[in-house]
Amino acid sequence: MRFTIAREKLQEGLSAVTAAVPTKTTLPVLANILLETTDKGIRLSGTDLDIAVSTEVLADVETQGSITIPAKKLAEIARELPSAPVKMSSAGEQKVTLECGRSRFKLLGLPRDEFPSFPTVRFNESWRVRSGDLQKLIGHTAFAASTEESRPILNGVLWELRPERMRMVATNGHRLSKMELPITSEGAPSGDLIVPPKALEQIRKLFPAEEDLEIARGDNHLAFRSPFTSVFTRLIEGPYPNYEQVIPKDNDRVALADKNVLAQSLRRMSIIASDQTHRIRLAFNAGMLKLGVQTPDLGEAQDEVPINYEGDPLEIGFNANYLIEILRYMPTDEVRLTFKAAERAATIEPEGWKDDARYLGLVMPLKLID
Amino acid sequence: MHQIAILASAVVDQIAAGEVVERPASVVKELVENALDADARFIEIVIEDGGRSRIRVADDGFGMRREDALLAMRRHATSKIRDASDLVGVSSFGFRGEALPAIASVSEMEIETSANGGGGTLVRAEGGEIIEVRDAARRTGTTVTVSRLFYNSPSRQRFLRSARSEWRAIADLIASTAILRRSVRVLVSHEGREVMNLPAAPSVRARVAALWGAQFADRLVDVDDVRGEVHVTGLVERPSDVGTAARRIHVVVNGRAIRDGGMVRAAEAAYRSTIPAGTRPSVLLDITVPADAVDVNVHPAKVEVRFRDRWLVERAVESAVRRALGSPRSAASIGVPAFWAVPKIAFSPVDVEVLQGPEDASPLLGGSVTAVDIVMPERNREEAIPVPPLRQLRHTYIMFEREDGVVFIDQHSAHERVLYERFMHALEHGDAASQRLLFPLTLHVGPQEGDAFEEHREMFERLGYEIEGFGGHTLLVQSVPAPHPRFDAERCLRESLDALTGSRLPGTASRHEKLAATVACKAAIKAGDSMSDGEMRSLFSALARTVLPAHDVHGRSTVVHLPWDEIERRFGRR
Ligand SMILES: Nc1ncnc2c1ncn2[C@@H]1O[C@H](COP(=O)(O)OP(=O)(O)OP(=O)(O)O)[C@@H](O)[C@H]1O
Ligand SMILES: [Mg+2]
Repeated sequence: MRFTIAREKLQEGLSAVTAAVPTKTTLPVLANILLETTDKGIRLSGTDLDIAVSTEVLADVETQGSITIPAKKLAEIARELPSAPVKMSSAGEQKVTLECGRSRFKLLGLPRDEFPSFPTVRFNESWRVRSGDLQKLIGHTAFAASTEESRPILNGVLWELRPERMRMVATNGHRLSKMELPITSEGAPSGDLIVPPKALEQIRKLFPAEEDLEIARGDNHLAFRSPFTSVFTRLIEGPYPNYEQVIPKDNDRVALADKNVLAQSLRRMSIIASDQTHRIRLAFNAGMLKLGVQTPDLGEAQDEVPINYEGDPLEIGFNANYLIEILRYMPTDEVRLTFKAAERAATIEPEGWKDDARYLGLVMPLKLID
Repeated sequence: MHQIAILASAVVDQIAAGEVVERPASVVKELVENALDADARFIEIVIEDGGRSRIRVADDGFGMRREDALLAMRRHATSKIRDASDLVGVSSFGFRGEALPAIASVSEMEIETSANGGGGTLVRAEGGEIIEVRDAARRTGTTVTVSRLFYNSPSRQRFLRSARSEWRAIADLIASTAILRRSVRVLVSHEGREVMNLPAAPSVRARVAALWGAQFADRLVDVDDVRGEVHVTGLVERPSDVGTAARRIHVVVNGRAIRDGGMVRAAEAAYRSTIPAGTRPSVLLDITVPADAVDVNVHPAKVEVRFRDRWLVERAVESAVRRALGSPRSAASIGVPAFWAVPKIAFSPVDVEVLQGPEDASPLLGGSVTAVDIVMPERNREEAIPVPPLRQLRHTYIMFEREDGVVFIDQHSAHERVLYERFMHALEHGDAASQRLLFPLTLHVGPQEGDAFEEHREMFERLGYEIEGFGGHTLLVQSVPAPHPRFDAERCLRESLDALTGSRLPGTASRHEKLAATVACKAAIKAGDSMSDGEMRSLFSALARTVLPAHDVHGRSTVVHLPWDEIERRFGRR
């Protein structure tokens, strides 16, 4: 194998795949990336077995071949090289020579056949989605997924693809976030996919917003591809819990509040809230929200936030962190909160959002004590 | 001053009658107490045949003049009190004038005594009859020899146990007296061999070390606490050591060694949840109460007392012992000086008024003024706890450096302790945080788990489990406790029910403890879980705020200290 590549191209390729290379692994070859020559250049691939990324960059190929080399070292070298053509060649299976200007490196690789093969996904039945739309959905929902191992299904983000819309939902069983966008599909099938948030996060960062992505489903994998880059991820097996059923439709107490004022007050209160449960108390009264927190062994605090509220007085407890977090993702300055009763789900939505997306946050209360 | 007078009969009546001399150990007790009452600095005790053939107690106290020595043999002759009012708060061991005549009546007794050095008296009696009185040369002090105990009372003699078991009772008695008066030198020989040589000791700990070995003394932590008018000092066994050596019990009230199961139980109650069920700690307690709060004159051998308010004293004992165990010194056998007790920062109540700047003004609602009101309670536990840099090892231990060495915290044990106390609080006050679930959990359980649930249903509710629609072994869980962000409510409930099957405990208190310990164990972060810096810090301060930070609910140490000394020794720097 022998090829010449612009240092910038090499770096571009490396930055796409190194995010998929695990920092710690019991399988040594996973710390390497796979380099293969193609018609137009070279293909770089990396994987941690959950996610696999593969990208193609332009290069001058002299002789065909493939090799795996340590990802981290190669990335460090590429970063320090002068801006000049980089010549790489491998003699035999395990030794790579890299030359750039007057610098010369010899790196030890591992045989190509030790590198795991990527899942095969056929793109004959695929969805087309604009990367920017996907970024928006991921950015507003993935945070709400569970990080606990107790219910693996909740560790994933539900991605519903329908002919006229797509939607993402994530929940940890205590709070939920849901966002939906209209799309124009070209006769693609409907699909419900449960995707690990880590993979979604990589996809969000990897593809430029204006790029169109093609998405196809394999046996238990999902593939994303742009003209040069593909990402594969494991899917979590469903079914996802019936979240529609638990999103309240009859919440009749509505409060409008300034997002920043509310969030600041919540953050102040959470200083005194317990580190463990973050419990705070909200009392909604006409025109005024009273916040209170009381933590044994620590102290108590109260605060008041003017709001727009007309319903009957309501006292309800929450994990302050859940509220603070969902407010952080709200796209508007003003938010709409709805309630039914102290033990029922509360919803938070953007108010006056001029966007074709629909966004909803839901938080289950914490029981209050007197 | 020390002349003996016959007590008026009214006084006699107030003095508990009864058997003084039960067995050789009671003779030793009376003689040693007399020596101590005579201000002895040195007591030599000689025992033969478990005290059955001979008991000799020699002291260097102030001795007796001849007429006093003769009078001492008569009933109710005492130099220690004069009338009934002296009985309140009596500080000498003896006050009845009963011991010597009682002993003399069942043995052959010889008293050799001198009150002024040189010229002294020897009195010999058989079965209480004085048979000889003569001059004897002796240094100031008294030697009482009791031979052939119960020689004239075959029925009593039959009740005597083997020499060995009588000797053991004597040894216990001497030990307890030696602890009581640690400034007195005590020399004991049994069957002609010296068995105890206890020099005057500067501390109870030193005396304990002389009695039972330095290793035993090392197992003990100091108790010293005042609660109201009750002062409790002493030594109690470190929970991690309990059950690994012979148990010693020693209770002193106002300078008198007594038997008092109540006080021992109160001390044991303080160990609750730190030692495995069924094991019992060694406890040496010295309790001081106002003289009028205790009646010492309720038992013929003076080994029991009556408290005016027993409950008060027991609570004082419990809290003193709990405090002692709570000090990290009680944690590890390598000794952990109080690392939580870092300089206390007084946290005075703060009232903060925050006026929000214009950038916070809500466009919708007009500018807002927000009043924040932070009031710290006047409770005593809110000092800010400085947290040192922490490091997790093997996803199991949290380590940090301190001036005197390196300290390791077992993350699971520590968290278990924190949760246990929180759950106990929740069970008693019903203030657990209970997180409502978006998707109720449906749990199918076996019949035994179902029964265990029914049995503990109300307590589970207090912990924060809201469970509905129970029927046919299906639990529908609507709300769950939220003790920490990683809490796995379903697994915790399942495992707790499993652990509780078949357990039927009597009292509510112990049921609470059992449940809290079970759930805490299941709910706590596990060994092998990686913890963020924030999580470690918050566990550290939460642990420091617990009542018993140094031990988990199974009595294992939560904290181990490795002193620099030890590290340096291993590196050969010392
Ligand atoms: N070792 C001794 N040294 C000096 N005086 C003694 C000694 N032993 C006894 N006595 C004197 O003899 C008296 C009688 O002793 P005895 O033990 O019979 O009665 P007590 O000590 O006064 O009361 P109790 O019956 O409660 O022990 C004591 O009051 C004391 O004055
Ligand atoms: Mg006496």
